[in-house]
Amino acid sequence: METEEKPVLNGEKHVVDYPRYTYECEGHIQALASVHRIIVKQRKGRFFKIFWLTLMLCSFLLIFNSIFVSQVINGLECIFLLSTLIVRMFQKNEVTEEAVILMPMLGVQLETSYHSGKVMRRFLPMQKILAAVINEAVTPTTCYFYLALLVREKSELTLVFQEVRPPLDVLISIWKALNDATNFQPNYPASIG
Amino acid sequence: MELPAQTTMGRHHRVLMVSDFFYPNFGGVENHIYYLSQCLLQRGHKVVVVTHAYGTRSGVRYMTNGLKVYYIPWLPFFMQNTLPTFYGTFPLIRNILIREGITIVHGHQAFSTLCHEALLHARTMGNKVVFTDHSLYGFADLGSIHMNKVLQFTLADVQQAICVSHTSKENTVLRSNLPSQKVFVIPNAVDTAMFKPDPSLRPSDQVVIVVISRLVYRKGADLLVEVIPAVCKRFPNVYFIVGGDGPKRVRLEEMREKHSLQDRVEMLGAVPHARVRSILVRGHIFLNSSLTEAFCIAILEAASCGLLTVSTRVGGVPEVLPLDMIVLAEPVPADMVSAVGRAIQLLPSINPFEMHKRMKTLYSWMDVAKRTEVVYDHAVNSDSNDLCERLTRLVYLMYYACGPWAGKLFCLVAVIDYIFALFLQWWQPAELVEVAPDFPVQ
Repeated sequence: METEEKPVLNGEKHVVDYPRYTYECEGHIQALASVHRIIVKQRKGRFFKIFWLTLMLCSFLLIFNSIFVSQVINGLECIFLLSTLIVRMFQKNEVTEEAVILMPMLGVQLETSYHSGKVMRRFLPMQKILAAVINEAVTPTTCYFYLALLVREKSELTLVFQEVRPPLDVLISIWKALNDATNFQPNYPASIG
Repeated sequence: MELPAQTTMGRHHRVLMVSDFFYPNFGGVENHIYYLSQCLLQRGHKVVVVTHAYGTRSGVRYMTNGLKVYYIPWLPFFMQNTLPTFYGTFPLIRNILIREGITIVHGHQAFSTLCHEALLHARTMGNKVVFTDHSLYGFADLGSIHMNKVLQFTLADVQQAICVSHTSKENTVLRSNLPSQKVFVIPNAVDTAMFKPDPSLRPSDQVVIVVISRLVYRKGADLLVEVIPAVCKRFPNVYFIVGGDGPKRVRLEEMREKHSLQDRVEMLGAVPHARVRSILVRGHIFLNSSLTEAFCIAILEAASCGLLTVSTRVGGVPEVLPLDMIVLAEPVPADMVSAVGRAIQLLPSINPFEMHKRMKTLYSWMDVAKRTEVVYDHAVNSDSNDLCERLTRLVYLMYYACGPWAGKLFCLVAVIDYIFALFLQWWQPAELVEVAPDFPVQ
């Protein structure tokens, strides 16, 4: 399944919708840069599920601990507080968006934005990047595709997306853009798209 | 080279080969899986192999012709087998089944725990399942009893089974109570292009007898200890080459010292598979003294190199070669010595190149692949996988065939597996699992 190869013009956004993520691609001809964003869709019921699971777990623990039967009411308040704290902890570390900003002359900037408002940025100068690769990762429970960069003087691959796992089509279009950027020759006229 | 032709029924299958035994480990099962997969790829099917991680080798690797191998990160714990956690590998296997679009799961070797687990999960997911048994097993000792029980459970639900010889079929059917109509016999084959004869490397004044095997009890190393001195005493112009390593090597060295046969018996130690041919072509006769063998590929390799074989009449060995290429004997030292004598007398009438040509027509991996395809077609056309029907059949089979306690336990295992499948569908829906692209066969 191929995405359309439309030339992305100045400031124009190309948005594609996926079940878990929204993929946005912007291009700026004057700055010779392009931005690829993966926005995690907020699913309403998600924390509710975690909340309920924690609630049930704590109530089971309480039921087995029959010494505190008389203090059940206080116990319930404790459970509620505990669950809320756990939920907030999960939410803080949650990633809302990951972005790749490609500047063919300068380098690549990788951004990760969290729900708490914090944004983590890494910059890689263009001379340091050898190539971009798409690889398959196999963990004990699952298997997925990821995009990584081969960086000079580093024996490990640098992941482009730390937390999100976008679908293969998105990875392929970003990989193509990265390839064009790393092979970019300043003598030739800039080809966007 | 054959073009990727249409199969007999015009269907292309997407096969998942599962086993604990695959490269970089070397052996009969590993070779079988590799060669079969290559031939199936050339015939236009898609093949993916799943095995456990070997040391740091974990993840996805691509072999010749785009054969994709998943080394799943579960380390082996006992004799190359993954830790049997029943449901531990389910999420990953399910993921692999969905992303590769697998239609048939083909498990190899009864001794492989990963194979049993994968077959159970494949049935829960609704895939068709084929099982190949490569070895003969006993009935009497504790380990065999337990393994046969597990085998009964796995095979209660399998569509078709493949055995490598008729003796092996009998053994598997008796162990697993599988109806014999479901079992096909497809012998192994040999890569005749790799094993070509070269009589110029043989000495003309001596008769060289080659032995290449693991020096363990099962492969008859104790028999060798008796036979070699007897043969050396009776036939003064015989020279032995013994390749291979194992716990019984010490006994062979002792025998060599005791009878002062250092200049008539050469011990090579462990021989890597790539060097086996260079050792085989130095000999006139190949001696196989196994005490049990479902199908002996070593004999095929020797015959392909133009050697006359002397072997024990056990298991599936009599089915392997035509009687003019092999001399059989009972696994008793005296009988084996006389068999060697008969072989030495037959030697002048043997033409190595004729033998090699005959082996080329008798055995080929492409033929094995075509026959396996027929089995796959049968599997795909077989009965449906409605859950209630499957459970009823399982209950009947397992309760009556496996015994009252084991039957109930196995039913429970199958039901819990199904519940786990429903949980996984909620946790990671099948629609969200990405389909991996197919790479074209070169």
